[in-house]
This record gives sequence, structure tokens and C-alpha cells, in this order.
Amino acid sequence: FFIKTVFLWLGGNQVSPLRPICDLRVLDHFVPEARDSEVIMVRSLCCRGGCGVMKSYFVPLTSVDFAVLEHIDVSHDAVEVQTGLSLLDKALSNAMKTVRNSPLANALDNNISNIHSLGQILHSLDLQVVVGLHFTSPHDSAPASTQTQEVSSLPELLQVHSSFLRGKVRLLLSAAPACQRQNS
Amino acid sequence: MTKMRSNRLKIVFMVCLAIVTIGGQHFESKVAQLLQDETEHIKCFVERKDLTCFWEERNHLHHQYTFTYSYENKNKMACAVSSLLAGNKTIFFCKLPKTPFFTTLDVQVLRDGRMLYTRSLNAENFLFLDPPQNLTVMSSGKEGQLNVSWLPPPLKYMDDSMIYEVRYAAEGSNMGKVEVVKVSTMLVLLGLQSDTRYTVWARVKPDGVAYKGYWSAWTEPVFGVTPPSDVDPLIVLLVLFIGLILCLLSLTVILSHHKFLLKKLWPDIPTPEHKFPGLFTVYKGDFKEWMSQNNGSMWGRSAHVYTEELPSPLEVLSEVSLTSHGMSQREEEEEKESERSDSGLTDRWRDPPHAHWLMEQLRALQENPESRCQSSLLQSHDTYVTLNQGDNEQQVYDVFEETLPLQTLFTTAGTSSLSTSHSDLGSLQQSLGSGRLSSRSSFEYPNHTWPHKGPGYAYMAVADSGVSMDYSPMSSSRIAELGRHRMYTNDYKNEICPHKWPLSGQHIKSGSESCTGPVW
Repeated sequence: FFIKTVFLWLGGNQVSPLRPICDLRVLDHFVPEARDSEVIMVRSLCCRGGCGVMKSYFVPLTSVDFAVLEHIDVSHDAVEVQTGLSLLDKALSNAMKTVRNSPLANALDNNISNIHSLGQILHSLDLQVVVGLHFTSPHDSAPASTQTQEVSSLPELLQVHSSFLRGKVRLLLSAAPACQRQNS
Repeated sequence: MTKMRSNRLKIVFMVCLAIVTIGGQHFESKVAQLLQDETEHIKCFVERKDLTCFWEERNHLHHQYTFTYSYENKNKMACAVSSLLAGNKTIFFCKLPKTPFFTTLDVQVLRDGRMLYTRSLNAENFLFLDPPQNLTVMSSGKEGQLNVSWLPPPLKYMDDSMIYEVRYAAEGSNMGKVEVVKVSTMLVLLGLQSDTRYTVWARVKPDGVAYKGYWSAWTEPVFGVTPPSDVDPLIVLLVLFIGLILCLLSLTVILSHHKFLLKKLWPDIPTPEHKFPGLFTVYKGDFKEWMSQNNGSMWGRSAHVYTEELPSPLEVLSEVSLTSHGMSQREEEEEKESERSDSGLTDRWRDPPHAHWLMEQLRALQENPESRCQSSLLQSHDTYVTLNQGDNEQQVYDVFEETLPLQTLFTTAGTSSLSTSHSDLGSLQQSLGSGRLSSRSSFEYPNHTWPHKGPGYAYMAVADSGVSMDYSPMSSSRIAELGRHRMYTNDYKNEICPHKWPLSGQHIKSGSESCTGPVW
């Protein structure tokens, strides 16, 4: 809650430049909460049978190829991450509507708040000039901004959500130039 | 035959090549560990950046195995299968090229085109890293400390997600300790023994947030020696200085109270040596010799000593009515001499004339103990000072109450006799031995017949001046003579049973009822 308050205050103040938030412990706190949603979903009687409503969700691709991670000088990875966070935000919001009045609804609401916080963090890093980072091979036909996939269940959605945070979002934050300048 | 041999050589070559190309030096150990720990049919791990999956089969080399994988709804892709012989089993493995992380992988094993095993996993959750490299142990220069450092796994973007364990133990000791370190690649070991050789190991594992996996194998042991204990010279000086101050303070206290401490710790053993000058130094403890040399002078002195230090519990009240016809002329002369020379009965330190005779009797008694109970008549020619208020019975009672001073005695009617005698019963006790004192009154014998108690009793003349009391022995004849007079008697029974004390004076009897002589 404290972090959310900070981010809201940061978001409300558009005049002064944001100070880069490079501490990965923030993200390391969001990741377990994403996993908690998966656990709650598994334990919830409501969702073992799919909660009665099967719905498709468009979610970002999460796969990361370390072999090609630094080989392509493309700066669209930051856009890919921001786009993916936006897709997850929408998908989780739609999923929360189907699990109202259940313990999973509170967990999903928490996950959505965390995604908003990550957006503020990325904004503070000024990632428009991120270079040297590409999550997938440039030979893929689909453009980076359209690299999405469709999932048909809530468990798959939550799994994508967790993988996206642990993978692309974390790699982008750890490789952000603003944070590299602070560490040096 | 030749063809079979060549096939076997090819298989061995392929296996060795597979080991070299697929895995590093720890590949076989990792495979062995997962074969033991992992329950899934398809066992997978990520060694560096690629995922390796394997399974074991009995020796079914004639089967055709196929390994496929897919992710993110993409088409299935095949992976080249290799095999490795392990005893009576065969290990089949496949290393995925360009392993996708942070996505769900669907892997399948087909045997002769049929589905054998299948599994879904995320590659970032099965990291099985090599042990940390360049483990170094160095002395920090401080007592009980060692600096340990190592290199992180050569995986960029993963080094901040690692956790390490450092195990250390003193050389030759089976008891080791484990320290957990997060992210950092150095550790300072504290609380170690000085000048001791330590063995250190380390291993690594993902921290479980972004990546998960297995503990790596321990590194090869690395040794380090702690520096010897370095005692600060300043501390040594301070300790010595404080110790010196404490010693001086203790010495000062002891010297200022040495007398008190000596009395408490080494109390003087009382010795009567100072009361018997020359007894132990000159006469070597021979009391007889000492007595013989110091009979006259020491008698009075000892009497004085006895008077001072051995108070007699005997309380004797004497009352006697004496007549002049009972006194000899000599006694009268001596009495006059005593009256002139003595300032009352207080002058008791003049040696009485009968003392020498008495000592001789005592000596005779010691030399001849058999005559202890024999009757012997002790003749005394001394005169006695008696408390006499005449024949008046009332006066007798007054004296009995010990209220009449000696001066008054001399002025009373009737005859009185002075005699020097021993000042107190105690001195006599010393010379006469132990005994019991009882008292009788002449009023018990109205016929003035004083019963002679026989050889077991000795009679003493007691003179009470109101200031002091003198006791002197009396003979039986004297007792008989005095028996005709009204008197109070204290029967003194001593150990010298049948002694008959010779008397020159009149018998003085006291009427005390509770006389118990001190037992020596």
C-alpha cells in the first residue's frame, strides 16, 4: 500500500522528472503475490471446474531466449513490456468480474494494482532509449507490439501473468540504463 | 565379428562425444543426482542457458525414441536424442536449442512413434548450476576472522537471483557451520579460533523468486589459517597496573590490621609458663624441683596467684566464740606479733609460720601416697584470728551474716585470737587437694558435743574480716576442744582422708549451708 501511494503521488506530479526506481525488491515482492493468486485459484472450489465461465483472454508472450538476449540492438523491448502490462491489466480485470465474492477476487485486485505500480516504475526509468535488449529473435514474423497469445482459462491467464513479471519485466528493469548508471 | 567391434567402438565414441558436447564436468553427477531425487519420468535441468531432458530405460537399444517440445501454441519441435550406458540401463537425453524461458514447455517422449512420457514445465524453475568458481579464503588480519570470496554463476541477468551456502570447519573437526549468503559473493567468517586451519566449501542455488532450481554440488575444499591471537600491549600494561594497585591496597590493609588478623588466624595458645617462672626454662618442667626451689617465696606468691586467678566458690561464714584459756602462750605471743605487724587480715602475704610445716606435710604425702588415708596429725602452732563477738548468740548470728569488720572484732568482749592463716579456701584447696565442703551449726548439738566426723573430715579455721576470709586447717584435738563451744561449722571433706590438722588456734566454724569447694 505504501508503494502504491508513492506511485500515485509520483503519477500525479508530471512536472518534475521522476527519480529512477531501480530496486528490484519491489518487483520481487510483486512476483510472489502473482503466485499467490495461482495458489488461491487452485485451492478455490469455485475455480477447479473453471468457475462455470470459460473466457478467452489476450495476453502477451512471455518467452525469453537468453541466447539472443543481447544480440539485437532493438529498443522496442520496453514498448513490448509496457504493452504486455496493459494487456494483462485488461485480462485480469475481466477475470475478476467472473470471480466476484470469492477470495480470488481480492488477490486479482492486488495483482492489478501491482501492474499499475510497474507501469510507474517503467515510466521512471525513461526506457525510450533502451538499447541492446531484445527478448525474442528478430526473425519472428509478428511485430513486437503484436506479440500476443490467447488463453482460454483463468489458470492459464494467471500463469502468463506470473511468467511475464518474472521474465520480461524483471529483465528489462535489471538492464535499464538508468539503473546501470546508478550502479556504476 | 569385425563389424560388431567397430559398432561398439562407434557407440563408445558417440557417448564420449555426447558427454563432452552436452555436459560439463558435472553432467554425470547431476544426472545421477536427478535419477535419485526426481520422480518424473522425464527429468530436466538447465545447466547454463539450455534445458537438458533425459530418461532412463532398460537396455532397449533396438527401440526408436523421439523427443519433441512446444510452447506458446507453436508447432512441435523435435530434439536430437542421445544415449548413455549406465550399467544395465541406458540414459537417453536431449538438449533443447534456444531454450525458451518464462513460458510453459510441453515435452514428449515417443518410442517407436507412440507416446511414452509427457511433461509440462517452465525452464526457469529447473536451474541446476555448477559450483561457484574461484573459491578463495584469505586472512583479514583480524583475530578470529577469515575472508571468503567466490565468483557468481556465469549467467548474466541471473547473478542477482542467487543464494549461496558457505560451510566451514576447523581442520580435523567434524563439527562444521553453514552460513547463508544472498546475492553477495563474499563472506567474512567471524568467531573463529586463532591460529587454526579451516576448511571451507560453497554451493549455489536460485533464490526462488524469478528462478528456481537445485542446490549445486559443493566446491572443492579450500583452506585458510586464522591469524594468531594478538594481545594488545596496552591491555597488558593496564592489567599489570591494575594488578599492582590491588596488591598494594591489599598489603596496606593487611599491614594496618596485622594484629587483628594474627589474633584471628593464629591465636596465642594460652600457656601457664609466665606464672611459673623458670619451671620450663630452668627446671625443664620438673615441678618438684621447681617447688623445692621456690617453696617459701612461691607459696605466698602462688597463694596470691591463686587468690587472683582461682576464685573460690566457697562461701564460708564463720562464727566462733573463743576463750583465752584455749590459747597457748606462744599463740598469744604470735598473736600479738601479728597484731602489731599485720594491718588486719588484709595483709595476707606474709608467709604464715605453719606454711613451711604444711608444705613439708604435703611433700611427704606426695612421696608416700599410701599414707594418704592414714591418720596423721598435723600440728599447727599458729594462732588464728577469729571472728568473735563473745558468747552472745546474737553476736554469733551477726558474724554469721558476715557483717562484722575485723576492727570490730578486736574491740568486742571476750577473747579473740589472731592468727595468720591462709587468705581463702582456694589456697588451701590447692595444697590440700580436692574436697567437699559442708556446713553444720553448733546449734544442732545443744549439748555442745561436737561430733568428730572421723578421719574423712578435716576442719578448717576460717577468719572473716569482712574484707577477706582466711582459712586454716585445724587438728582434731582442737576440733574437740572447740566442740564445747557454740559454733558453726563447715565440714570440709578433702581427699586426704584421715588427716588431723594440728591446731594452734581455735576452731572457727562457719555456718554456711552451701559450701562446695572447688575441685582442682
